[in-house]
Amino acid sequence: MRESASPGQQAFERFWRRAAVRGAVIVLAALLLVGIYAPFLANEIAFLWVDRQGAHWPLFADLFNRTSYPRPHDLLFNLLSLLVPPLALVWWLLRRRLGIGRRLALCLGVVLIAWLLAMVPLIPTKSGWSAVWAHRPLSPFTSIEAHAGTAGSDVITAIFAPIPHRCDATYPGASLLPPGSINKATGTHFWLGTDDIGRDVLASLLFGVRISLSIGFVATGLSLLIGIAVGGASGYFGGWIDVLLQRLVEVMMCFPTFIIILSVVAMIGPDIFVIMLVIGLTSWAGTARLVRGEFLHQGVCDYVAAAEAIGVARWRIIVRHILPNTMAPIIITATFGIAGAVLSESGLSFLGLGDPTTASWGVLLEQGRENIRYPWLIYAPGIAIFVLVTCLNLIGNGLRDAFDPKST
Amino acid sequence: MLSYTIRRLLLMIPTLVGILIINFAILRLQSASLTQSMQQQVGNQEGASASHQVRSQASYSAIENHLARFVRTGNNLPALINVRGWLDKDDVVALLRQAASPTSKPSVRSQAQSTLWLLGHFGVEPLEEVIADDSLVDLHGQASVALTLDAYVPLNIEDLKYMSEQRQDDIRVRNGELRKYRFPAGRDDPDYAEKRAKLLALCERDKKEFAHTSAAAWGALLRETGICDFFYKLFSGNLYSETRGDYVFHLIGDRWYVTFWLNLFSIIIAWCGSLLIGIRSARTNGSLEERVATSSLFILWSVPSFFLGTLMLHHLCTNGADGRAWFPNRGLESDDSLWLTTPAFLWDLFYHACLPMTVLCYASFTSLSRYVRGNLLEQLQSDYVRSARAKGCNEDQVTYRHALPNSMITMITLGSGLLADLFGSSVIVETIFSIPGLGLLLFDAAKNQDGPLIMGSTVISVLLLLVGILIADLLYAVVDPRIRSKYA
Repeated sequence: MRESASPGQQAFERFWRRAAVRGAVIVLAALLLVGIYAPFLANEIAFLWVDRQGAHWPLFADLFNRTSYPRPHDLLFNLLSLLVPPLALVWWLLRRRLGIGRRLALCLGVVLIAWLLAMVPLIPTKSGWSAVWAHRPLSPFTSIEAHAGTAGSDVITAIFAPIPHRCDATYPGASLLPPGSINKATGTHFWLGTDDIGRDVLASLLFGVRISLSIGFVATGLSLLIGIAVGGASGYFGGWIDVLLQRLVEVMMCFPTFIIILSVVAMIGPDIFVIMLVIGLTSWAGTARLVRGEFLHQGVCDYVAAAEAIGVARWRIIVRHILPNTMAPIIITATFGIAGAVLSESGLSFLGLGDPTTASWGVLLEQGRENIRYPWLIYAPGIAIFVLVTCLNLIGNGLRDAFDPKST
Repeated sequence: MLSYTIRRLLLMIPTLVGILIINFAILRLQSASLTQSMQQQVGNQEGASASHQVRSQASYSAIENHLARFVRTGNNLPALINVRGWLDKDDVVALLRQAASPTSKPSVRSQAQSTLWLLGHFGVEPLEEVIADDSLVDLHGQASVALTLDAYVPLNIEDLKYMSEQRQDDIRVRNGELRKYRFPAGRDDPDYAEKRAKLLALCERDKKEFAHTSAAAWGALLRETGICDFFYKLFSGNLYSETRGDYVFHLIGDRWYVTFWLNLFSIIIAWCGSLLIGIRSARTNGSLEERVATSSLFILWSVPSFFLGTLMLHHLCTNGADGRAWFPNRGLESDDSLWLTTPAFLWDLFYHACLPMTVLCYASFTSLSRYVRGNLLEQLQSDYVRSARAKGCNEDQVTYRHALPNSMITMITLGSGLLADLFGSSVIVETIFSIPGLGLLLFDAAKNQDGPLIMGSTVISVLLLLVGILIADLLYAVVDPRIRSKYA
């Protein structure tokens, strides 16, 4: 290990040295990519469609169609699917020139510009614009109906996604087919079989990545925000604030979290955002306790006294001085928190209290429980959840070992 | 030790109060959706008879049913503070205007209407004044509906138990009269004058029941509120489950011990097992055996319990080609368990509980044994262990007599944290294996949106949990002399 490296770099090297952790990071990144590019992998709509009028890109045109993707998180992932390539390119091009802050700012700029560009075809046609509008070049974002208005279109060639089924489409006569059977309507394969109402399990699995990851990240983000605020205030200010907040944390620690989530979701109704919110609001106690401990530990350090002596504002000391020093344990709990949130959501859906309109892994597994003789409905989503949770746990473990070398 | 126990008990009060308040809030969430459903039902009827505001008798009896349900669950009361005692004619007129005006938003209109209908006996006097006032003739139709609904007394099971038969009959007769005398169409109603006179006469007759003094208004400020009603019903055991048709605590009393024993045995197994694994892997630290054990436990830890449970159900509990399953797939005892001898019954119980307990405790093995191992390794390197070794203790003595008691302390704190997780996963396990415990009850209640049952079973689960945590805290003091001396 290089002695000149900063503690963070040293920790990263320790983290990256372990093969299992590297594998977990790669699998997680692959899962994230699968989630982002799910509509490109599993879709009924053609990727490229060439007829006499020219080439059309109906899949792109469909990406921001609210009827195909009624859920906001799907739209977000679709937007990401367009933004990831330019972002990766910019990041790679600037890898040596700029610091991380500038690179982040530039990437945000690229996001903004790409977003605006993506909005251009969505601008409603104004009368003054119509002449220009009618002669615009064929954009991948305009729908096929807009092009095929004039003549009957003879297809020259069409390229479809590798899995030509949508996740939420039900195929008539295809309920509970075993893996590898053929869809009689289109002659395509259901590689992982179908569920009881005739949806493709593989397509549902791919789109399920989006749900699991977005629930994991949003719920954990929320619980981190609350946990850091409560724990930080409690640890930094001390006194009666600490006493009060500690009682609150103790109350939350004894909470049978899953039971509370269950009853709230049962009462409000199964909506994916309600689930995110409730998981986030009930799981912050551990983070708060941890952050409080760290703040107590850091608060007596010399650098805090120095900052106070030169008159730095309190919130600035908390946010800019102490918080960065407590990041390591926070990131570690966040990793396990994501795994926990994914498990909570799947558990809820497994009990039949999940959002039935979304194809989440837990919903699939619930069908596996109800149709106990059809093992592909158990294995496919179960293994998917297992892989995601294992990766997150491995990364969390690796981070813990890397940041805290004395505990093995 | 006594002061320590008392301190622990006192610390539980805020936890319990917090959970009760959250439960009450959840109950209220459900009541909001009930209002909506009532409004929807009425709204559909309204659409059918679009032009004038006359509704059919059937839709009013639907509203009465909703009201009866509201009164039974205490949802007709305001949540925290009851200021209905100070309502006067002007307030009611303002509400009536809101509910009647065609220009206001539908949400505002339905809100005002539902407020008027849920006023209870506080609404009767001001509404009577409105009807008696000839200058407000355009509001008479609305007011008569609100008045008949506010004066309507739904008889619930509680009332039937304690009320004299005479009184019950009186109320039934009055409810029938109220139904007859309302005139939703106002002056367009053919019998307007007659119905109005009869309604006013009826209010005059039962004036004593509907009138309220300012003392009564002050009394109702905190007493007649949703939260007070909820706590009263909870502590007096009167929570009633609509879907099951029984008192919540009867239902819980039949099942709580199933969950309790399952969790208790799972905890004991998880504890002892992980202690053994932890000690073994600390003593063989670094060997191949230890590494294999640690990584396989880690993988086991990542398997979701519902996945493992479903797999077991699929592979071990369903009849295969030879027509016989390895394990039973439902319940905790066989159908003929009443006729079994005691040893056979115990075996039957064990045979049924085997898989559920495995699913409950397998994940705890990993987390607990990891802590035992880490802690024991730390202890084994400390100075007092070195001096014990220097004294000539052999390795067994060092581990079991010196190092282990010190690492037990963390084990106990972890055990209490484990309880909360176990209660959550017992919902899943009991659902998978159809075990009639608290978890399955809670799951059914959640599926049927049965608010009182959810509340009751949550509260009981929390109580069991708190008792478990208290026991862990006391054990903590028993094991750790420092705590004992601190509170001595």
